[in-house]
Amino acid sequence: MSSEALARRATGTLERAVPRKRKRRRPSAWHLLLAPLALIFIFPFLQMVFASFMTTSEINAYPPALFPHHPSLAGYRTVLQESDFGTWFLNSVIVTSVAVASQLLLCPIAGYAFARMRFIGTRPLQLLLLTTVFIPPQLLMIPVYKMYAFFGIVGTIPSLFLPWMASAISIFLMRQFFVRLPKEIEEAAMIDGCSRLGVFVRVLLPLMRPALATIALLTVLNAWNDFLWPLISVTDSRNYTLQLGLLTYQGQHHTEWAAVMATNVMVTLPLLAVFLLGQRHFVKSLTFSAVKG
Amino acid sequence: MASIARRQPRPPAWRRALPENLTAWSFVLPASLLVLGLGFFPVIWSFLLSTKSSNGFGPEHGVGLANYRALAHDPEWLAAVSRSLKFTALYVPVTVLLGLGLALLLNQKIRFIGFYRTCFFVPFVASAAATGVIFLYVLDPQYGIVDNVIAWMGLSRQQFLDDPDQALFLLAPIYTWTAVGFDILIYLAALQDVPQDQHEAARIDGAGRLAVFWHVILPAVRPITVLAVVWETINALQFFDIAWATKRGGPIDATTVIIVYGYKLGFVDGEQGLGAAVACVLFLAIVALVLMQVGYARWRKLDVV
Amino acid sequence: MKKIPLIVAAIALVALTATSVATARPAAGKPVDITIWHAQTDAAQKAIHTLVTQFNKTHPGIVVNDQLGSNGDEMVQKLQAVIGSGNYPDIAYVYGSDVPNVSQSSKVVDISKDIKATGFDWNSLYEAGRKTATVGTKVVGFPAVIDNLAVVYNKKLLKAAGVAPPKASWTWSDFRAMAKKLTNASKDIYGTGFPISGSEDTTWRLWPMIWQQGGEILDPTNKQALFGGAQGVKALQLLSDMTLKDKSLYADQTPDSQKMYGLFDSGKMAMVVTGPWQLEDIQGHHISYGVQVLPSFGGSHETISGPDVYMVFNHSDARRKAAVTFLAWLHQPAQDLQWDLATSNLPLSAKTAALPGMSQFDAKFAGIGLFVKNLANAHHIRPPVTGYTQLSVAVGKAIATSLLGRGSPKDTLAQAAKAADKALS
Repeated sequence: MSSEALARRATGTLERAVPRKRKRRRPSAWHLLLAPLALIFIFPFLQMVFASFMTTSEINAYPPALFPHHPSLAGYRTVLQESDFGTWFLNSVIVTSVAVASQLLLCPIAGYAFARMRFIGTRPLQLLLLTTVFIPPQLLMIPVYKMYAFFGIVGTIPSLFLPWMASAISIFLMRQFFVRLPKEIEEAAMIDGCSRLGVFVRVLLPLMRPALATIALLTVLNAWNDFLWPLISVTDSRNYTLQLGLLTYQGQHHTEWAAVMATNVMVTLPLLAVFLLGQRHFVKSLTFSAVKG
Repeated sequence: MASIARRQPRPPAWRRALPENLTAWSFVLPASLLVLGLGFFPVIWSFLLSTKSSNGFGPEHGVGLANYRALAHDPEWLAAVSRSLKFTALYVPVTVLLGLGLALLLNQKIRFIGFYRTCFFVPFVASAAATGVIFLYVLDPQYGIVDNVIAWMGLSRQQFLDDPDQALFLLAPIYTWTAVGFDILIYLAALQDVPQDQHEAARIDGAGRLAVFWHVILPAVRPITVLAVVWETINALQFFDIAWATKRGGPIDATTVIIVYGYKLGFVDGEQGLGAAVACVLFLAIVALVLMQVGYARWRKLDVV
Repeated sequence: MKKIPLIVAAIALVALTATSVATARPAAGKPVDITIWHAQTDAAQKAIHTLVTQFNKTHPGIVVNDQLGSNGDEMVQKLQAVIGSGNYPDIAYVYGSDVPNVSQSSKVVDISKDIKATGFDWNSLYEAGRKTATVGTKVVGFPAVIDNLAVVYNKKLLKAAGVAPPKASWTWSDFRAMAKKLTNASKDIYGTGFPISGSEDTTWRLWPMIWQQGGEILDPTNKQALFGGAQGVKALQLLSDMTLKDKSLYADQTPDSQKMYGLFDSGKMAMVVTGPWQLEDIQGHHISYGVQVLPSFGGSHETISGPDVYMVFNHSDARRKAAVTFLAWLHQPAQDLQWDLATSNLPLSAKTAALPGMSQFDAKFAGIGLFVKNLANAHHIRPPVTGYTQLSVAVGKAIATSLLGRGSPKDTLAQAAKAADKALS
């Protein structure tokens, strides 16, 4: 017998000395619950995808059809060939990327300070920050516009990513996650001679992957889907984001639904792709239990 | 023998705390400046506007608190408040509980779990306008799939969003459908932190799934629950987009909740001062509500602000 | 060290922000630079762009920048945001019902002298257009788009139900009888429809029914609502009976009347009251249709015209004059015709309507000739008062409440009249 097998026997694990073919795992029963629920949640999006392959007249028909009878790429053609889709896409990407980078830089460290550090003004500041969540955006458009005008950045790309570079909700999310982290980790690191910042960057951030992934995702969502601020601020079509581009298909009396659906699909798919790729970061690895030891 | 190295007099307490204070402030300042600059100044401006009578174009004149007095006597305002409260009472518990339930479901290592998670996130990603169009179709009294299923089951067709008595209560599940993704997200992240050893200990002790849930998981995610309840309450009270996109606040004002009313006042009726007053009243109400919720959480020692 | 990527990222962030701001400042130009927010999308956007390019070529002293600005629905909001800060345009497309409100701004001035200076014949424009672009004694812009309401009917459905196409002399009783005969519940076919989303589309359809009977919306001082009188009640009662008793009228709650038009386009509605803008869509759905003027109560077939206005905003004398020059050029019959052909909008002046090129227009959009002639049936305009939007909302609610069977026309209109009086005071 090999020494490995002996060792395994000794530790009493259940692994066999000779590897056996893995038994096929039975599909989990949870699929029976998850699959129909998932269908309910994505069904409307599927409808949108199907509609994007119909012509505008087909979309408007009563009774409404689910599947296109004569699939057509008219919507996609209109958007991709006849409009500035490329510019809009690029602008949306720029706005979103800057917003996410900024949030990841600024919010976790602020959340950490609120969670762990005692300093003058921490409570009033937190309450002030909280209040910014309380006024709905529709009623804020005009004062924010006046601010932009004051700084001369109306209609520019920075005016589009500014509102999303930091948010109270990100700060508080990070705060909640830091609060739940056992103090021992930091104390151990600080005893080892690490500064606050060092502790933060080297020890805590890696443990915060789910939380960071959450705020990154929320920022992507908000910045990518933002319609209100671009509407108020931007007039030069070179600075249009995708959401504003959608406007060009919605006229007073006629909406070019095929183009709208196609654009909606193309606007939503990147978000879903980002989510699909990023969602595994919500699952912490096994390192946490190691820290506990 | 006296020690050779004489200790320096101890600096006063505030001096000792200075490095910590400075570090802390340097940590919070950038984010806070951005958030407060873009989020708080508008609050003040809104309050100033609420003391004026203005239509956004003509000259404005100060009227002090007259707008607030007008609101207090406005039956439509009171009706809007009542609708918002009913909506909130229905929406918040359903959304938070569903978020937790789905997060638990999605916190498993079965095949396609990544795909499933993405599915539940899809509605969160759709714009209010798109959602509005979709549900107008789904709930259409003649052609919508829901009414077709109901008719097939032998029950009478409902008017749903066309019915002044049903519309508001239908908007709640629609909004839940779009918003629960956020709660799933934060609960999923929180569930990762549930101490494994407590979890295993409970299972070894023979605790059933339900007991584990009640005694291990629920307490562990309580800070997130508090956050979720506060966040969804704020969302419910600020509900606007879908109500506007689907029914423009109708039929016959049935879905005119607080922000819809404020929007109509400010941008349709041209009464910017009144619209701003609505915003400020809502602001104060939310502050009060959140303080109450946070206070309750602190009282129960739930590790919040 | 892990810190370096962080620092690099921070610097990059600052740099990106700084450069973006730097490149954002526009350079000043030599000829007079003016901006128009046209709110046109799709084909209309292309049409206006073509026209603007033509103008810029033939008028070297002026450069017109055409921008979407905003959708028509959000234009007023956007103007409210920008008007105090200097970033407002020189010309903006404003819905007719919003013109009195926007005109309150100090940036909106009387341009009648500027119009005279260009030599443009102001009185050649249709009356409804001129009136809507005038607030009190101020001329605040040029009519941008003009329309009116008439009845479009589905020839196939009429034939299938054995109903003869309506004659120009038809009455509302004829309309009601026809709608009843055309309604086929088993096939989900309605005789006609009416929007009750509460927007202006709901309200303005009631006005011609009141004017036809000799009634008025407001009294001569524009301070008291008269629409709650006998004429208003009769009109609303007819609609209400058709909806609740005959079940021949589909009351549509969707914003922008999407479903009503969708039903007509799909052959599920036999007749619909609409304007020329809808013809392209109807054609696109291959409906064989006819057009007829509005029915009467035995006398007048008056219709309503709802012009939208290119309002002029004052920056400086030079810019204002340039804006007026552009608009005057745009309204010359030749350009007007070009615009109409591209967008199925009606001609803005009788001169345009008299052009030989109009035959092309009739050919391209079948039935539009009737809409053009129907312009002669538009006499009244909506009251140009600042309380109009509130009045409209109140009446919209009254109509919706009645058609949903939750109030009698008399009561609902009386309530609306009270609200309107308050808004007008």
